Order: sequence, then C-alpha cells, then structure tokens
Amino acid sequence: MNALELKDLRKSFVLHHSGAASLKTALLWWKKRRVEKREVLRGLNLTVRRGECVALVGRNGAGKSTLLSLISQIYKPTQGEIKIEGRLAPLLELGAGFHPDLSGEENVLFNGMILGLTRKEIRARMADIVAFAELEESIDVPVRTYSSGMLARLGFAVAAHVDADILIIDEVLAVGDFRFEKKCYDYLDRFRAKGGTILFVSHNPEAVMRVADRCVWLKDGQVEMDGSPAEVLASYQAAAPDPEAAP
Amino acid sequence: MIAELKLLYAKRELLWAMVERELRIRYKNSVLGFFWSLLNPLVTMCVMWVVFKFLLGNATPNYSAYVLSAYIPFMFFNMAVMDSAQSVLAALPVIKKVSFPREILPISTVLANFVHLLLALVVFFVFLLVVWLNTDRENFPFTWTLALLPVLLVLTLMFTMGMSFIVSALNVFYEDVKYVTSVALYLLFFLTPVMYFSENVLHRTRDMGALGEAIYIGYHLNPVAVIATSCKQVLLKPGPVDIGGQQIPASPLPLYLYLWTAAVCIVIFFAGYALFNRMKWRFVERP
Repeated sequence: MNALELKDLRKSFVLHHSGAASLKTALLWWKKRRVEKREVLRGLNLTVRRGECVALVGRNGAGKSTLLSLISQIYKPTQGEIKIEGRLAPLLELGAGFHPDLSGEENVLFNGMILGLTRKEIRARMADIVAFAELEESIDVPVRTYSSGMLARLGFAVAAHVDADILIIDEVLAVGDFRFEKKCYDYLDRFRAKGGTILFVSHNPEAVMRVADRCVWLKDGQVEMDGSPAEVLASYQAAAPDPEAAP
Repeated sequence: MIAELKLLYAKRELLWAMVERELRIRYKNSVLGFFWSLLNPLVTMCVMWVVFKFLLGNATPNYSAYVLSAYIPFMFFNMAVMDSAQSVLAALPVIKKVSFPREILPISTVLANFVHLLLALVVFFVFLLVVWLNTDRENFPFTWTLALLPVLLVLTLMFTMGMSFIVSALNVFYEDVKYVTSVALYLLFFLTPVMYFSENVLHRTRDMGALGEAIYIGYHLNPVAVIATSCKQVLLKPGPVDIGGQQIPASPLPLYLYLWTAAVCIVIFFAGYALFNRMKWRFVERP
C-alpha cells in the first residue's frame, strides 16, 4: 500500500529580473521584461509505502523544500501527478500563523484548525498538547512573551496531536533543548509504531540515521540515489566534499 | 468554482475561527473595544450635523439619521475593501507554509467588518427608537420597507466581497493597488449619496433634458450609489429633502436601476471569486 506516489513531477518558477513588484515597473518595463524560468524539479518519480520513514538529503537548491511544499499543496505542480493516501500533516514551519497578541491557547486552537482539526477535537486534546509542550504555566499569556524555544515546542505539540497518517517535516526537528529533542524523537518512534509514514528533510546525518529507514538523495530536481540511509549518506558525503555543503 | 466552494464549505470552521480571531486581535489591546468602531460614525454624524444643518442651514427633516443610514454601510464597504487589500499579502508567510483555501483570508476580513456593520445597525436602531420615544410619537421612523433590509445586506455583502477578492489578489502582485484603491474609495464617497440625496441629483438634472436624464441614470449605474440610496429608503421612512430652501418630496429610483444594481452585485461577486481562484496559486510564487 502506497502512502505517496509522485509521477514525473515538474515544477518551474518564474524569475523576474525587474525586482520590486509594482504597477510602475510593470507598466514601464512590460516590453523589455526579462522573464526567466527556473526548473527546480525535473521529472521526479518517488513512491513511499505506508509505514516507511524516508529522509531527503541534497544540497541547497536541489529541490527538497519545493518537493515538500508541493506535497503539502502549497504549490501546484507545473506537470506531473501527486497521489496522497491518508491525512497529511505538513510541518514546514512550527507554529505557522501564530499571532503574537493572542494567548498560547488561542493560538493552539487556530493552528490546529489550520492543520485540519475541528474545534471540538482541539478542545479535547488541549490538555495533552499543553502538557506535551510543557507550557502549563504560560499557556494563557500572549505568545509574544514566549521564547523561541517555547514557540517551537508549542508548534510541535500541536502538530504532534493532529492524528495524521503522513508527516511531512522540513528541518524542524532540532528544536528546544536536548530533553525536548528526545521527546520529539520518542514521538516519531511512537508515530511509526502506529504505522505512520514520514517524509522529512534533514541536514543532520545523525537524525537521518536515527529515524529514517530509507534515504533519497535529490540532485538538480531528480532522484540521484535511493536506498538505505547508510549507503546513500556515504555516497552523498563522498560527492560533496566541502564542509559547507555536507549534510 | 464548484470544487472551490465545496472545499471552502468543508473548511468553514476555520473561516469562523478566522473571523473570531480578527475581531479579537482588533480589540485585544484597546480598553474601549467595540466602542471605537462606533465612534467614527457618531463623530462623523455630529460633524455633518454642524456643517449642513447649523452652518449651511439645510432643513431636511431627520438629516443626521439619513446621513448615518448610508454612512454606516458605506464605511463597511470602505473598511472591508481596504482591510482585505492587505489580507493576503500580510498572510504570505503563513500561506507559504500551510495549505488552506486562500480565499478564507479576504472573506474573513470582510465578515469581521460585516459583524461591525450589524452591531452598528443595532446601535442605529436603538438610537432612532430613543429619539422617537423622547420626541414626537407621531412619526414612527420605520416602515414595512425594513423587511427588505436582509436582501439589501446580502447584495452589499456580495458586492463588497467581490471587490475584496479583486483588490486582495491584485495587491499581492502590485502593491500600488492598495493606494489606488484608497484614492478611488475617497472619490467614491463623494460620488455616492451619503451626505446628500439622490433627489439632489434628480433636482439638478431634471431641467437639462436628455443630457440631464443621462447624467441621472449614469450616476446611478454605480451600484454603491444605489445601495446608499436604498439604505436610506429601507432603514428610514422616505421623507422630503430640503434643496435650496424648497422641500422636495422623496422620489424613488426607477425599478430597473435596483435590478441592475442587484445584477452587478452578483456578477462582481462571482467574477471576483473567479479571478481570485485563478490567481491564488501564484501568490506563493510572487517574485
């Protein structure tokens, strides 16, 4: 049974050289407008079976984030097909849409709804979410008073209680202190034990080895290599010798 | 569009939450809360009373009430369109990270303003009843036309939403749209019978023959003008208008202008929504 099926996926972006988006530039330069297309994904094929945990690695600009955004239905593909079986929870940014002036609880309610929960479901899980984030004392104050760690914890806690079948994670695991990081990994283990599917991007080889059971190396918008994390990481690191680009 | 509307219906809970959030944020940090949004029409009414009744000696009975009955809906339109101009652009960081129907952004902004409109109308009614109870009991301020208010409000809402879709979508790509809109709204205020009456236009153009008639009809092809006049007619009992010392009796618009306005409101709503849907996938790819 497949959780995700991507067929010949292509995505191009239009690059405008005029810079600022304004009526004036559009009117003045509409004749000389230089439009350049950049193809970020070039016919990518990938199938993820249910229960798999797949890590995506690759250099900056290889198309990892674009791929996750496409699966999360933020972009429309230029070409190709995306099939998703089950409920998807995109974790591209923790606490996306948190409003600084609203309390933690109000933000949880809102964030949960954006992620697809109903008001009732969130109310029922509120205590669990707050306990998971370890924010019992400060859940009633505006989140502008939170530290960045607290925000990330709350964001992760909401996402962890969405009851998704598929988690899409974009480098948001390294949040909070060591103890909270462990909590996140424990959560991922439990999620997988229940049969959940994970697709995540990470630049941290330890995280890849720790969580994934399959690793996909993206290069120039295509799958360069697909296999066990140990194998793929070894080839990837061998191909990218400079420390900047290492995973 | 059917598929879009279905998805929107499925996400209606998020929409309500968004409206609630918008109302909450607006008044979170102010003590007087909702009072502030009432203050604007009240102050305007006082200023207009001073200028038109006191300084210019306009003798139209219930002048302030007529002005207010059109000013409240006009301000709704004005605020809703201006607020939603920013709604998508301000939420760009969010819509780059989570997927939900983008049209929820302008819709919730418009609905939050619509809640203000309803509250302001309640205050307006209370104000009229208090005046009625304390002055002459003969002249009850309302007539059966009040039953048409829901229809009028729905049409106003559709028109406002359609314009908000257009402005919010275009403003993502051309930020000048916001400024153009604010100038256009300022001009529109004077092209709309808020401070004056449709009867003023009629009176001015009546003796000009065919040209005058063309001006009168052309003026009322603007749906906002007809909506403003309708608000005066629906919310209050139509009464005589003082023009240059003469009391001119109320004269309703020809029926086809009302039908035209209703049609424009509906068309603008669907055209705006269609435009928004065409553009919404490009918001996140904005250069």
